[in-house]
Amino acid sequence: MSAPLLRVRGLTKTFGEVVVLDGVDLDVAPGSAVALRGRNGAGKSTLLRCATGAEEASAGTVELDGIDVDERSVHVRRSVAIVTDDLDFFPDLSVIEHLDLLARAHGVDDAEALVDAVLEDVRLVDQAAQLPGTLSSGQRRRLALASAFVRPRRLLVLDEPEARLDRAGLGWLVERLRREKADGLGILLASHDPDLVAAVADDVLDLDA
Amino acid sequence: MSAEVRELRRQIREWRRGRATRSLVEAIGDAYVAIFSALVIGAMAGNVLINLRVVTADACTSTDCADARGALGWLLGLLGVAAVLAVARLLGPVLAAPAVGSWLLATPLDRVALLRGRLLGTAAVAAVAGALPAAVGGLLAGFPVAAVAWSAVLAALLCVLLVAAAARAQSTAGATIRVLARALGVLLWAGLAAVAAGLAPGSLDSPAPAGLALAAAVVAVAAAVAVVGALRALPRIPRRRLTDGGALLPGLSGALSGLDLTLLFDILLARHWRVHSSVRVVRGRGAGPTALVWREVVRLRRNATLLALLAGALVLPYVAVPLGIGHVLVVVVTLTGFVFGVGLFAGLRVLSRTPSLLRCFPQPASAVRLACLCVPAGVLVLWGLATAPALHAAVGGAWTDALLVALASGVTVAVAAVRWTSSRPPDYRLPLITSPMGAVPTSLYGSVLRGFDVLLLGTIPLLAAPTEVGAAWSVGLCGAVLTFLVSRR
Repeated sequence: MSAPLLRVRGLTKTFGEVVVLDGVDLDVAPGSAVALRGRNGAGKSTLLRCATGAEEASAGTVELDGIDVDERSVHVRRSVAIVTDDLDFFPDLSVIEHLDLLARAHGVDDAEALVDAVLEDVRLVDQAAQLPGTLSSGQRRRLALASAFVRPRRLLVLDEPEARLDRAGLGWLVERLRREKADGLGILLASHDPDLVAAVADDVLDLDA
Repeated sequence: MSAEVRELRRQIREWRRGRATRSLVEAIGDAYVAIFSALVIGAMAGNVLINLRVVTADACTSTDCADARGALGWLLGLLGVAAVLAVARLLGPVLAAPAVGSWLLATPLDRVALLRGRLLGTAAVAAVAGALPAAVGGLLAGFPVAAVAWSAVLAALLCVLLVAAAARAQSTAGATIRVLARALGVLLWAGLAAVAAGLAPGSLDSPAPAGLALAAAVVAVAAAVAVVGALRALPRIPRRRLTDGGALLPGLSGALSGLDLTLLFDILLARHWRVHSSVRVVRGRGAGPTALVWREVVRLRRNATLLALLAGALVLPYVAVPLGIGHVLVVVVTLTGFVFGVGLFAGLRVLSRTPSLLRCFPQPASAVRLACLCVPAGVLVLWGLATAPALHAAVGGAWTDALLVALASGVTVAVAAVRWTSSRPPDYRLPLITSPMGAVPTSLYGSVLRGFDVLLLGTIPLLAAPTEVGAAWSVGLCGAVLTFLVSRR
């Protein structure tokens, strides 16, 4: 097995007296997917935030390519695409303009072609000129996912990516994540959907255990 | 009022009274500090206004100044009326809470009976809100006391008329009231421009009370007719238009009660763009930070109204010149630029309040911030330079000094706007202090001053020395602040 892209060792996170994560270990290798499972409040989102450096761990280490993860580092920003629930958008930029801006900011060569392809893929072509504030919650979720696929990435971190997607959207997501894996990307996702976990994940970390 | 509505109101009143934990007298007793403070501050404000009236009358001896002073009294009244109409349009003016929309407006209850009180209450509040600026304007302009009173009555009645017209417009998809609001804005600007150009007619400072009373009588009749028309139109207002304002108001009042003005800005920004639904797509240009800079250019073009307002506000420093305020004009320049220019930094504001969005970009946070602020900051610096002739006329001295002071004013305004838009919300993890409002974080009160602190920092050197030396100090201090704001983690 290749060296892990993301390596978490002894990760502990406490909020006051409450221990949310207690000595968690996990590895995400290129071309593999690790799923986090657990009841609400089990610490899935906290683990994802710690893994991407958005939250400081109380103890333990999180490394990307052997370097300590800090969300402010350019290395992490270039390598990790994150889709979480708190992702917001510019209220005055349309769907396509958001994706175009991200692709260009990441220096994608043929940004227009990639953006058009991703828009087609997430089925937001008809909403291309729409502003995010007028999208349905499912469409906003698709835009959030598209923002991860329109940029270069080596690790995908997804917090309940199935949330608010319809059945067709879920099918598309499974296929897309399989393709991402086949392209050599590492995936770390938290999910409540057993079908998605079964279809995509190589390893499952049960935080209830 | 129909029997069902009366019965429903009685029931709601009983629920509320049944759940009240204190009586009205006890509540007033608890709020005595607030009531006492309001009375003291009101008395102080009244005293200041009366003193200002005397001071300005003594200081304003030239014909130009007297004419400008008389015209500005009227324009302040007009500003009050225009502001009341703008707020009325923003909130409805007839509004209902989302719960009322879901539970009551969806039933076959008589809507007129439900909404009549709200419309009349709003009209009453509008009357008071419109009368105050008119009274203050008349007082400062040196109107006779009777004329001050009648101009306040006239403004109050105009506000009632406009609120009723706006309420009626809620039931139709027409653009009349929007055109009227813009016309008021244009009229206000034309008045200011006339004052700045020295074209304000004389004798505006001594209007005849009889003429004002006659105008008030005519407007009163029109307002009564408009209110009746608005009451008749109440059943035809769609539920969505009623609850839009009802959903907006709690957010705005929450932001104000938390002294979080940037949250207020966020709410209004989101609301503004939600109304637009879609835009004409403009593809990006460049790569890396250049793409962000280009988006700011697109954003400016898309916010043409803000640019027009900023350009229009350029008249204010020129209006202040005939008043003979000298060096203090720098304060007028920086305050005007800040108030009308801060809206241009919407991109930076969104990135500052949404770390998850900032994380999507591969560049360091400082580079992203810099790319987002350079275009609006450039516009504000140019705006500052455009005030150079006013500064030269007010302060005198060499043209070079006036240009440098104008440049420094623009830089000050831009950095103050960056400070305001990149501010973080009050941190409730900090030690809390007790207050009559409950426990509040220590950073809460300071958050109100954000932006204004930088204005002060950049303006003081210009006030002390409106020369190249003052300008150099001002730009140096603002540059240091900007470096800190952009590079902080």
